[in-house]
Amino acid sequence: MSKKTINIPLGAQHISLLEPVRFKFECENEKIIGVDSDVGFVHRGVERACTTKFKFDAVGYVVARICGLCAITHSLAYTVAAENLLGAAVTSKAAYLRTLLLELDRIHSHMLCLSHTCENAGFEAMFMQIMGDRELVMEIQELISGNRVQFDYICIGGVNRDISAQLGKKILENLTLVEKKVREYKDEFLNNWSLSLKFKGIGTLSLEDAYRFNAIGPLARASGLETDVRNEMSYLPYNEIGFVMQTQKSGDIHARNMVRLDEIQNSIEMCRNIVNGLPEGEIITKIKGKPEGETIVRYEAPRGELMYYVKGNGSAMLERVRIKTPTFSSIPAFSEIFLGQEYADAPAILASFDPCLSCTAK
Amino acid sequence: MFTSLIKSFLNLFKKPQTLAYPADAKPKEESYRGLIEYNEAECIYCLKCEKACPPGAILFPPVDTPPSDNEKNKKSLKYEYNPWLCIYCGECVRACPKPNEALWQSAKKQSVAVAQENVNGMWDAIEARKGIFTKNSSVAKE
Amino acid sequence: MQKIQSSREKIRQEIEAFYDPKSWHFLTLNGVALADEKLEVQWIFAKYATPDEVVVYYIEVPYDVEIPTIVDIIPSAIISQRELVDMFGIAVEGSTKGLYLDEDSVQTPLKGCQI
Repeated sequence: MSKKTINIPLGAQHISLLEPVRFKFECENEKIIGVDSDVGFVHRGVERACTTKFKFDAVGYVVARICGLCAITHSLAYTVAAENLLGAAVTSKAAYLRTLLLELDRIHSHMLCLSHTCENAGFEAMFMQIMGDRELVMEIQELISGNRVQFDYICIGGVNRDISAQLGKKILENLTLVEKKVREYKDEFLNNWSLSLKFKGIGTLSLEDAYRFNAIGPLARASGLETDVRNEMSYLPYNEIGFVMQTQKSGDIHARNMVRLDEIQNSIEMCRNIVNGLPEGEIITKIKGKPEGETIVRYEAPRGELMYYVKGNGSAMLERVRIKTPTFSSIPAFSEIFLGQEYADAPAILASFDPCLSCTAK
Repeated sequence: MFTSLIKSFLNLFKKPQTLAYPADAKPKEESYRGLIEYNEAECIYCLKCEKACPPGAILFPPVDTPPSDNEKNKKSLKYEYNPWLCIYCGECVRACPKPNEALWQSAKKQSVAVAQENVNGMWDAIEARKGIFTKNSSVAKE
Repeated sequence: MQKIQSSREKIRQEIEAFYDPKSWHFLTLNGVALADEKLEVQWIFAKYATPDEVVVYYIEVPYDVEIPTIVDIIPSAIISQRELVDMFGIAVEGSTKGLYLDEDSVQTPLKGCQI
């Protein structure tokens, strides 16, 4: 006699989701045995707009608006691809400033993900506390670039604004405060007994599965797969400012939270080294010409690896812009992890992946 | 678990993080991205700002009487700026050959558009004079 | 970036011989519309722990043929294949339409949009 199964949707609108995605779970008595996913609710046709409506020097602003949290990674990847096609190079000071903002973006995005995971586990007080402390980082982002989330800081040839010595001091002050708070959170995540019931041993991705599904980002590093694009690229000076790859072994939600907390601490250290060792020079170099040829550029967004393929043919309109976002590559791994878990843990597992659906369905 | 209990209790006595805007004034920063301002007397009408703007918020449509007797204005154009289409990126200022004299970014906040001002209809008419007709334009192409 | 040309019949064997999950990382599929009604389909790979090493296998096909699937070698390719079907209207073995676009929206938006 076959057991009866019921279909429960984690619908397109759900209280634990930040962005619309629909999963249909086939459950047998609270255990999930089948997953069917539907992404693409926020498809806006960005790839087509980049080649028909906007000239190549405006595309940097268009792609920044694909996602709110990894906006600067998109615009940086496109700008570096365009600079490769134009045969141009930026000054060392501009490269350091770009890295500074990229790491600050990583810090605030990881804090958002951690607070969202806590909220889905029921710990509202921690959610509010992390969000309140995240304001310290948002404040320095606003002082550097003028905006809290969409920085619009990078242009073809360099960056738009410089940082003064006074601003550098304020950055270091705020980062010291954030570091103290992150140490308290780490203590809480490691030792709080009720959180461990919700996080340890749940939503595991084994190392073999991580290799098989080509997992990326903190998801892969929590399972022991040592992959980080910051190790595999040479356009930004990561080997000079003290980048260290953080990994864990167990692959469950607890391991992913620990990887993110460790990455926040490493990013704070890197930002400090950048502000203390900023080289002299200009922040913009004038670049002329039209893009020609094809190139592939990869970056480490807070959620994983981002790839841009840009092809130009010597005119002001580009021929093809292909964007591969990190959450897009993680969707096959999502569907595998849910199998065998309890239905009540599904929102917490989903939040620990840190899905960014606006990036997926561009 | 006890530390979080004590922390939650102490939170009762702390000041809230939120700002009671608009009752309390928001602190103004110097690096605020405000409106783009223009000085017609210094402009040389090279139209570089119009070409550089990503959303097309600066346009120079032709008019019957030129706005001043600036001798550089050979084709009788007038500067039009739409603060509600602008994304405050500053590309126009970087493209301008005289960045602090003819075009610059101030720290003034934009005003809210109200229905009586007919912002969209006005901008559609300006775009039509340049020959730009978008899909939702209220001005029909003849 | 290293580009290697192949053909529709041989691409499956070549990828099977080349791909090793412990040293190569599959990124995505990509389609580039070319002149005279042809499509260039690319398979992009990057090497783990080596800076700036990217290998691209590509084939040039017309729009009315079927591309072989590689889901049994690389399970995470299913989502890139479904996107190619939606965006370009080309058939890929075992991949259904409807990832991003519904029936009442614009179909195959990237097919010949620039040419």
